[in-house]
Amino acid sequence: MSVLTGKERRIVGFLCNWCSYGGADTAGVGRFVQPTDLRIIRVPCSGRINPLFIVKALLGGADGVLVSGCHPRDCHYAEGNFYARRRLEMCKNLLPLVGIDPKRFEYTWVSASEGQRWQHVVTEFTKQIHALPPAPVFPESPEIERLAACAGE
Amino acid sequence: MPGNKFLATADVAAWLGELSKTMRVFAPRNEGQAVVYREFDAAKGLELRRKPTESAKHALFPRSEELLSFSYLRPAFGAPEKEGETPSDVSQVQVKMPVEPMPTVVFGMLGCDAGSVTTFDPIYDGSKFKDVYYLKKRQATVFIVRACAEVLSTCFCNWVGGDPANTKNADVLATELSDGWLLQPVTERGEKALTSPLLKDAPAASEGQATAIHDNARKSLGDAPNLEGIDAALFSLFADNDFWQRQSAGCLACGTCTYLCPTCHCFSITDETSARNGVRLRSWDTCMASLYTLEASGHNPRSLKAARLRNRVGHKFAYFLRNNDGQISCCGCGRCIKSCPSSVDIRQIVKDALVQAASIAPPPPPQPVAPAAASPKPAAPVKGKGRTKEKANG
Amino acid sequence: MDDELKGAIRKVLPDVDCVIGWGPGPDPLRSAPFFMRKPEEVDAFVVGPLAVNNPAVFLPEYKGKKVGIVVKGCDSRSVVQQIAEGLVKREEVVIIGFPCSGVVDIQKIAAQLGQDIEPGMVTSLSISSDKLTVNVKDTAKTMDMADVRADKCASCQYPNAVVSDEFVGTPKEGKTDDYADLAAFEEKSIDERFAFWEQEMSRCIRCYACRNACPLCVCRDHCVATSREPHWLNQADSTREKLFFQLIHATHLAGRCTGCGECSRACPVGIPVGLFKRTMTRAAARLFDYQAGTNAETVPPLQTFATEEPTIKEREW
Repeated sequence: MSVLTGKERRIVGFLCNWCSYGGADTAGVGRFVQPTDLRIIRVPCSGRINPLFIVKALLGGADGVLVSGCHPRDCHYAEGNFYARRRLEMCKNLLPLVGIDPKRFEYTWVSASEGQRWQHVVTEFTKQIHALPPAPVFPESPEIERLAACAGE
Repeated sequence: MPGNKFLATADVAAWLGELSKTMRVFAPRNEGQAVVYREFDAAKGLELRRKPTESAKHALFPRSEELLSFSYLRPAFGAPEKEGETPSDVSQVQVKMPVEPMPTVVFGMLGCDAGSVTTFDPIYDGSKFKDVYYLKKRQATVFIVRACAEVLSTCFCNWVGGDPANTKNADVLATELSDGWLLQPVTERGEKALTSPLLKDAPAASEGQATAIHDNARKSLGDAPNLEGIDAALFSLFADNDFWQRQSAGCLACGTCTYLCPTCHCFSITDETSARNGVRLRSWDTCMASLYTLEASGHNPRSLKAARLRNRVGHKFAYFLRNNDGQISCCGCGRCIKSCPSSVDIRQIVKDALVQAASIAPPPPPQPVAPAAASPKPAAPVKGKGRTKEKANG
Repeated sequence: MDDELKGAIRKVLPDVDCVIGWGPGPDPLRSAPFFMRKPEEVDAFVVGPLAVNNPAVFLPEYKGKKVGIVVKGCDSRSVVQQIAEGLVKREEVVIIGFPCSGVVDIQKIAAQLGQDIEPGMVTSLSISSDKLTVNVKDTAKTMDMADVRADKCASCQYPNAVVSDEFVGTPKEGKTDDYADLAAFEEKSIDERFAFWEQEMSRCIRCYACRNACPLCVCRDHCVATSREPHWLNQADSTREKLFFQLIHATHLAGRCTGCGECSRACPVGIPVGLFKRTMTRAAARLFDYQAGTNAETVPPLQTFATEEPTIKEREW
């Protein structure tokens, strides 16, 4: 068991390959200290992010979801992040209806050279998540609960 | 009749509470605008007047049921890898069976809901195949059927051999009188379930009162049309695409009718896995969905909703009959009509089918009159003709 | 108006495969979708507060054939959106519109009838302009139309068909939509909302009536909800999976939903699933000043973008 169990929250990050993933890499190379709660999933473009990825992660027990792409007008594919911005904003509007605090989801833009900015974003978002209680979890059906119990054995 | 018990209205919750100490007790209650069968919880109340929106079949046939669970075992730490062995080797899979079902009581189910059992038994407890998951639940479940005092305009149990005070496959028949419930045991199992001190011996007059209520409900159902020959009619219309397209024009091809139906019994089996572990689930399937018949090749023999509606009606009023001694696999509860978002009416389809079939085929020659002991059952089915393969029950 | 509408339908009939409208239903409180092919069939046409179903849901099935359709204002918005998205060709549909004064919600009638009487016990009914009288056995019960009218009708902006080839009757004044239903729901705290859906979705039977009744759910037999690859949903009887489907439906209808309310109405167990789509509709109106189904020439907001989005307030880190 990790020493961070109970102290760490589960935050899922969807980062675009061209800017934000590079930005996170830059932060790493620059040895900027960051919280360790974030688990990064690399995607080709923020336009690839289906809002359902975010919803699925949150309903699956993630405490927070962070999406980051290239700055508007800087998309590697010219307009992927423009579409993403509209979708993600709509998604943010849907979450509170379901009973998920909209603060659990943020999206932002970080370029490959902005290592320091990445450090700032991760630190701030992680703080924001830690200020919230752990994510509410739906009771699993007994069948799937059994599955989870197997995994723990 | 000896054995009849009386339960005061005020004691119903107390009795169910007492039963739920040792058994799983399903009873109808209000949830939102629906009436559903749930495990009894005194705090959440009971609904014993309005007709349940859903059937009680999930007591025997859950929406999703664990058939088994499995884990691929990790090799012991440091154990040398054996050549040619993969994690999917059967020897390395640990399989667990689900826990045994608890003894169960379904209280206050409708007479038509007991029709589930009439249809399920020949399939899951057939001469060729026995389904242990079903059988264990069936043997552990007591059905307390509530006689209907009122019927709805969508009720038609009398068309298909049902009755507002149906006792077929019931263990106890419960009738609400002015100040309580008369509980009449039908089977030995039912008698054994009625042992609580809260249950008093029923006063002599109560049986007569109950019978009057039953007769009244029977009368309000009206006359049933003669459905004789419905199976032959549906078989003759099997290729009448125009007929089925007209009937299904308003159908949305959702699964409301089949999932609320007490007698629909089709399922799908899937493995739901996570890392090295998985559960094999049996979950409800519906012939109204295109996926039901989609083949691995991509071909779908029932790609149109007309063919799917034909299957639903055909299975209830023709195919099942021919395999099961003329038993219609519709119990006439009317839920598919009442809850259909598009108001599709199976009664009308059946009536139209009889008319349509009569219009295309000359009436069959009169059958020789059987000897005096003529059976009330519909004419013996024609074997080996036009048999249709079914999905779940083969 | 009934006879004028029937006249309009008969006039259209020779040019089309069928005219979709409403006909007699299985009980006095319900009509059913009705497909008229012959002039004599038009006699049974039903219109008024019982013309509840949205006939637009059937239109995409008739692609390649010319059909007529009788629409209320809300139904016409679905048709407009279907045309805007290329699901239906304008030249393949003849639209007959009329001013709608609202339809009934059978669940509200049920509530008015009380605990001991079910809608299924109603033997007949009569409707006047503002009253609805039902007969149950020997007793009659009169209720105010305002109490049994569907929620969507209270905030109906378009009682008249938005687009029509034939319009029968005098157009009615629309109301404004202030999203009062969402505001009422949002009085619940975040935690209460979560608990609410946990309770409501638990009785979902996964029949997908909400999806199939939706005139803009176009994937039909290829819905991601029933796909194994990608495997968005498993087959467990789990509240989370059921809720997740509603979120799939809502995100796929974001900025496209015309608010016909069929998803909620179709639900056999009465889950208010329309709230999810209403939320998205309000967001589309606020963010992109877009109202689906009002203009077939516009592009749905999520299928386009602007380089500057003044209404989107991004996080300032």
